[in-house]
Amino acid sequence: MREHNVRCTLNVNATMRDTLVRVDATLLEVLRENLDLTGTKRGCNHGVCGACNVLLDGTLVRSCLMLAVDVGERAIVTVEAVAGARPFSDVQRALIDAGAIQCGFCTPGFVMALTALFAHDPRPTRAAIRAAISGNLCRCSGYVKIVEAAERLAGVAP
Amino acid sequence: MDYVAPETVADACRALDADGSHCLAGGQSLVAMMNLGLATPERLVSLRRITELRGVAPTPDGGLRIGAMTTHAELADLAPDSPAATLLAQAARVVAYPAVRNRGTLGGSIALADPAADYPVALVAIDAVIELVSATGRRNVPAREFFRGMFDTVLTRSEIVAAVRMPRSPEGAGAAYEKLSLVAGDFAILSVAAIAGDDLRVAIGGYAMTPLLVAGLDPAGEVREQAARELARLPAPPGDQRASTGYRRRVAPELVRRAVHAAMRARHA
Amino acid sequence: MRDPDTAARRSPPRLDAADKATGRARYADDIRLPGMLHAAIHTSQQAHARIVACRTDAALALPGVHAIVTGADIAGTRWGGIVKDETMLARDKVRYVGEPIAAVAAIDAATAIRAAAAIEVDYEPLRCVLSPDAALARDAPLVHEGFAAYVKTVDGGGHGNIVFETDVAEGDVDHAFAQCDAIVEGTFETQAQHHVYLETNGCVADVDASGRITLYASCQSVHHAQQRVAEELGEPMARIRVIATRVGGAFGGKHASNLHSIAAWLARAARRPVKLVLSRMQDFEVQRSRHPARIWMKTGARRDGTILARDVRVTLDGGAYADESPAVLAFALLMSRGPYRIPNVRAHGAVVYTNKLRAGSFRGFGNPQATFAGESQIDDLAASLGIDSCELRLRNAMRAGDTAFGGQPVASCIVGDALMRVRDAQRAASPLSPREGTQRGIGFAVMSHISGLMGTSATVQLRTDGSIALATGCVDIGQGADTVMVQMCAELLGVPIERVSYAQQDSDVSPYNWKTAGSRSTYMTGRAVSVATIEMRQRMIDQAAQMMECAAADLELVPGGAVGLVGIPKRVSFKDIALHSLFRSGGPIAATHGFVFDGPGFDPKRASIHRLAFANLGVYTFGAHCVEVDVDTATGAVAVRRAWCAHDVGHAINPVSCEGQIQGGFVQGMGYALTEALHWNDDGWLTTTTLADYKIPGALDVPPDIHAIVLEDPEPSHPLGAKGIGEPSLVGAAPAIANAIRAATGVRLTTLPMTPERVLDALETR
Repeated sequence: MREHNVRCTLNVNATMRDTLVRVDATLLEVLRENLDLTGTKRGCNHGVCGACNVLLDGTLVRSCLMLAVDVGERAIVTVEAVAGARPFSDVQRALIDAGAIQCGFCTPGFVMALTALFAHDPRPTRAAIRAAISGNLCRCSGYVKIVEAAERLAGVAP
Repeated sequence: MDYVAPETVADACRALDADGSHCLAGGQSLVAMMNLGLATPERLVSLRRITELRGVAPTPDGGLRIGAMTTHAELADLAPDSPAATLLAQAARVVAYPAVRNRGTLGGSIALADPAADYPVALVAIDAVIELVSATGRRNVPAREFFRGMFDTVLTRSEIVAAVRMPRSPEGAGAAYEKLSLVAGDFAILSVAAIAGDDLRVAIGGYAMTPLLVAGLDPAGEVREQAARELARLPAPPGDQRASTGYRRRVAPELVRRAVHAAMRARHA
Repeated sequence: MRDPDTAARRSPPRLDAADKATGRARYADDIRLPGMLHAAIHTSQQAHARIVACRTDAALALPGVHAIVTGADIAGTRWGGIVKDETMLARDKVRYVGEPIAAVAAIDAATAIRAAAAIEVDYEPLRCVLSPDAALARDAPLVHEGFAAYVKTVDGGGHGNIVFETDVAEGDVDHAFAQCDAIVEGTFETQAQHHVYLETNGCVADVDASGRITLYASCQSVHHAQQRVAEELGEPMARIRVIATRVGGAFGGKHASNLHSIAAWLARAARRPVKLVLSRMQDFEVQRSRHPARIWMKTGARRDGTILARDVRVTLDGGAYADESPAVLAFALLMSRGPYRIPNVRAHGAVVYTNKLRAGSFRGFGNPQATFAGESQIDDLAASLGIDSCELRLRNAMRAGDTAFGGQPVASCIVGDALMRVRDAQRAASPLSPREGTQRGIGFAVMSHISGLMGTSATVQLRTDGSIALATGCVDIGQGADTVMVQMCAELLGVPIERVSYAQQDSDVSPYNWKTAGSRSTYMTGRAVSVATIEMRQRMIDQAAQMMECAAADLELVPGGAVGLVGIPKRVSFKDIALHSLFRSGGPIAATHGFVFDGPGFDPKRASIHRLAFANLGVYTFGAHCVEVDVDTATGAVAVRRAWCAHDVGHAINPVSCEGQIQGGFVQGMGYALTEALHWNDDGWLTTTTLADYKIPGALDVPPDIHAIVLEDPEPSHPLGAKGIGEPSLVGAAPAIANAIRAATGVRLTTLPMTPERVLDALETR
């Protein structure tokens, strides 16, 4: 019964994607395995690290804690699509330029968290930035340059 | 595994009335447990299409009715129109992380009844009433009776939480929620919710397997000492990886003092 | 003064940053190969037990299962850094909960997990030992009964449950203590910390028609992984190829692992590619932790603050397998004197087997444990003498020309400067407003580390269009090694970094490197890159001299990629030189340089060294921390409000990367100091196996201001003066915080982590 596959249509990065999924497959698994969108990462698979962040109808969610079958018609955006037609989005550019990327495994999750923040508030304070990334773990950077990158984007920091 | 997403409460309850059936609300706890192999439901009954479970609306008696599928993020943004709303919003703001708050629900959280969760304490302090619904009817249970133990509530197999009703709060009362955790976003070692109006309602979480009301506190006196005496009457608090029994016992009175103090400061004439 | 516009002075964005920001970077779990199978491991459910039987029939019968390997299938080659005690899979017995017993390759991950769970193992439980005290008790069960027969590349005198013992001493400690006016003594206990790299351990093993393996591995060295896989599969290294993927953090937890061999074995057996990626829970249970330690330390000084003697005894809990333990022990002892001119030091240590996860390499490598003890004790000594703790440190600080513990001359040392920098920076900063219910304290720590170790090499070639191809065996584990290698090469050739390409590490073609570890990449491999580049530069100049019919001495490098006559506007471009060499005369221009660390070595006339696992190490680096903490006296919670971390990097090739390493190391050290600990229950089961149980610092737990101060005291033996920075900043975090807590409250915590509960206990008994 566990191996029961169902047809699932997902709206991912503005494209309707039709795929066969296990009923208990998470959105993270389906994105990575079925749809070859490996930019979203699996860091813990239980919702703590934030490496699996995606946008669901514009809000930040953990793709490892969503079942693909439970997504319905809601629109998913992954890190592969945040730049649109440009090489990089402003958030991505800011992280690159600030030296905020080390091993990079947490980076897509931070890109999504900051994208959600800036969509909602183009000039966040340092406190708002820290709160927005409070659910993203980074083991390399100590968070300092990630916050600096966001502050520069917000036009507040040097 | 089966998955169904009914559109009515009645259909959902009927689907739940079978061995191995489990509710899927926000999924922030359930899917995590499934991923860790700690839960293996035979059937998932998703509540996401049931509009009746959503929405926040004032009640005729001046209180607030909050649909079970309201997310922590929505609760965090509740207008602080009343001390109860303020308290619930404060608790919602410190649940886990932003992405989890966007999906986790009030109903899902209280149905799980994790002793280290934030809402149960707030709801007991608020003296909220939990609306339960089944295929055959509805019943209301006061929050302080709803939670029975660790991951244990009065919910029967085929019942779900429909809404939480908060009573009209005392005029000008102040509310505060204090949470002690090892790192930000973590489960609480201890948490205290306080509403200070003409009288004081204080509930503590993490001190037992369910939230406890702390009675007999007089804000005009030494709250810390009073709390210590009251808590000393109770069985010893749990000890776990986060904190020992002794630590919880020593720190709880201070946390109560802080919550009461903050609630008192938040009052206005 | 350096020209600030040269590539090495600027901090260009990392070469890999764009791919990482856009999700294009490919880590092990992102790799898909046609026909790829998925592997799962069956791990031990007992802390210590004989394996009576292992039945795989039920697993093999599941549809979609392609291969299974158990301990019975393997030859039982033993692997280990120095003590070779570990087999690819458990054979006759298991020694820790989580030890791999068998592995399955199946059509998909879910099937593999089900099949692994269907393997049946019968155990005969044995008594287990979960601490060094238990392991050293008189009738303790032996974790390795066959220890005496194991191959050991260095004799460490191990016996019973003792893996290795080491002694290092200088001077006459007992005589010196007799001259001291103040003596302090204490015992410090530190915990098992986990690396918690965001990307768990994983690899994909591919196989060709002849059975030759290509392993795509998240690892710290392709050569090291290749060696282990070859040994464990019983193949010559020529039949094993390892290619490094992008690595999502390592910190010492991803060097050669039996996981690589297991994946390779299954691929060979199934004749199909096999992916093995650990879940987060399994990564906690299966791999490595930092060594828990007990450190007894005694330090004595004269009334005027001159420190005369230190006596140290270290016991490391090594877990079930030796792994890198002898080397961690060696380094802990060598670092136990601290960056001080203490003439009489005696350090003794032992590593003990227990039935827990193996303890191994982790950023700091024994230094965090030793420095927690040493820098805490320095503050206590200062208090007992009535001298300011910074003052005491400065009076005894090492200087250039001194020797390290073990007798190595130290050519550059600015530890005193580093300390004054952080002290002055803190004094100059505007005071933070106090927080209700807290007491504020300021704490200091100084630290020393190394960056010269083992062997490495680099090759550089001139391409047809005059651009450069650079290759090394140094795997970038996220610290930015790729970028600094290219920067160094580009600077020495006077070209923009875009003209230098950098090869992925591939054991088939990459020149040998030991591994990315020991903060050694910028110094060791960077030195090889620099020397090779300088050699190639000379050959290019020689070629140009031929082309221009002049003497090489008349030529100089022209910025932008040319060689020209000094003082005359006549030049040939790198492309001209390349074409001439390829089509006219001379042949393709390339250079290679390799070396084993060639520092001065320990001095047997000065230091008595008995059973040290290192032959040589050096290129000492120094740093200092200052932290401000607020201690909540009612809950014991400690908040680090601000930190200043000054570190000597010799010469900062990429200053922004140096800062990132300093800040990241400090925060990982904060976790070590305050919240992180692996816990085992009485049956030897790890109870902290998820990120919900094991808490590392998040953005709201770290101070907004961690000031990284990059100091430069050039290292003479590196052409560009550079030294390493990977580990030091973690080393000093815990003692600086402990000292700040003491300054705030008067209590001295000697056990890590300094959780709110431990702090409150100490406050209530003061």
